[in-house]
Amino acid sequence: MHIPDGFLTPPVWVTLDAAAVPAISYLARRARTEIEDSRIPLLGVMGAFVFAAQMINFPVGLGTSGHLVGGALLACLLGPAPAAMVMTAILAIQALVFQDGGILALGANVLNMAVFGVFVGYLPYRYFAARHRRAAIFAGAFLSVSVSASMALSELLLSGVRMGTGIILVSLALFAASAIIEGLITVAAIEAIERLHPSWVRSNESTGTPAFAAVGVAAILLASFGVVFASASPDGIWKLAEQTGIASRAASLVETPFSGYSLQGISNSWMAKAGAGVAGVLLIFGVTLALGRLSRRRHVVGAERKGA
Amino acid sequence: MHHVVVERWSRRESPIHRRDARAKLVAALAMIVAIATTPATHGISAAAYSVVLLVAVFVARLPLGALVWRAALVLPFTAVFALASWLSGDPLRASALVWRSYLSAFTALLLISTTPLIELLRALEWMRVPGFVILIAQFLYRYLFVISEQAQHMRVAARCRAGEGHRLTFGGAAAALSVLFLRSYARADGIQRAMLARGFSGHFPTTIPTRFTYNDACFGALAAAICMGIRFAQ
Repeated sequence: MHIPDGFLTPPVWVTLDAAAVPAISYLARRARTEIEDSRIPLLGVMGAFVFAAQMINFPVGLGTSGHLVGGALLACLLGPAPAAMVMTAILAIQALVFQDGGILALGANVLNMAVFGVFVGYLPYRYFAARHRRAAIFAGAFLSVSVSASMALSELLLSGVRMGTGIILVSLALFAASAIIEGLITVAAIEAIERLHPSWVRSNESTGTPAFAAVGVAAILLASFGVVFASASPDGIWKLAEQTGIASRAASLVETPFSGYSLQGISNSWMAKAGAGVAGVLLIFGVTLALGRLSRRRHVVGAERKGA
Repeated sequence: MHHVVVERWSRRESPIHRRDARAKLVAALAMIVAIATTPATHGISAAAYSVVLLVAVFVARLPLGALVWRAALVLPFTAVFALASWLSGDPLRASALVWRSYLSAFTALLLISTTPLIELLRALEWMRVPGFVILIAQFLYRYLFVISEQAQHMRVAARCRAGEGHRLTFGGAAAALSVLFLRSYARADGIQRAMLARGFSGHFPTTIPTRFTYNDACFGALAAAICMGIRFAQ
């Protein structure tokens, strides 16, 4: 789901673009350390492959067919950071050459599909593939598409695009259907690739702590779907916040440093919605970064122990 | 497979084609930002942006009808949300969604139709987009048509073997995808070896030095001023 320009309101796209810049430069640095310079052509060709693979129609019954989206597949084949780079390049080419997705909305699309889409697509594979291989690949692809789509939907809702509850439910059902199709295609594709050449799919010998991954996935799912439901209800995310008791705490948190100033602007419900949503996105981003750092440190420590 | 038509348009000759990619990028961004921030009630501004874009098409000597048609690719997606907005009693937003997304897509199309992608990516690198992403995008675009052609050859071959009415099964499609992957991977290997043999070190050498002239600066400033003028005119 590529968001075109003209859908997101300035506070939403400015924030998402601003969040996408450090995310991409961090991932670019990581990918650079994982991939030798001379292997860069491979990443470009893999991007072209995903483009071309979308021309292959998979029959899914009822006379309809689906096609690959590719985030989770790339993550399993290349690893998360290079996969995120390839997806970013795909989105940039789609926006610039094919007008598929907007230029100002590129930050939003990159965060939805290349950063979070690839990240949640990879987590289950990373931690569960050793025991439940098929289920892990399926879950990754399913999560990748459903998280990307629900993030896009919540960004649209935060921008004030009005949709009735019925329409939102229908689109969530459609997302779920396409996420299932993506899961089936990704499992079939990875198994077919492994039959041809087993060494091409990234091995996952390090299993890490699955609980960690489960918490991460749950947090991202809750946040992305939570914003959809919160925005759909009349009072928006504030209602959710009040119900959970976050609002009072958040208000005191916000007001303490600014107590001398009046925060009347925030009482405007639209601004509050947008602000809360964006804060949520940034929070998830921070949490995922921290999770990534922590798990890497843990691995380094584990490796040192093994070495000693 | 026919190559993207903008590739041919972008190599034509006109006062706009001659401008530096950075100036055109700034101009297009100014236009898209102005469109995105114009209030939904200012339908008259939308008309003014359209006039500016039409003048640009005329100066760039591009086929107007083909551009109008291609930019309309954004409309099916927009129509769904515009309809949803309309049904929930917000016709103003519905119309704003349509003109904002259409004019933005038209601006982006005009940018790529007057600037070869390689130059545009170089301009993006100048704007501090990570070089790694730019490099991948360059390779992606170079091999996009090669790999797509391969996919189409495979489709034709499958049709030759199985007959016109035959449809792939799910497993068959997965097998086709894996073969496409194998061929892409083998091609990437070949490309990599050939490039290493020619001394590739992770960067494309620039053959044509880009110069940002006085005219380029004037063009960028004028375009930005016009966009902002329309944006803030009441």
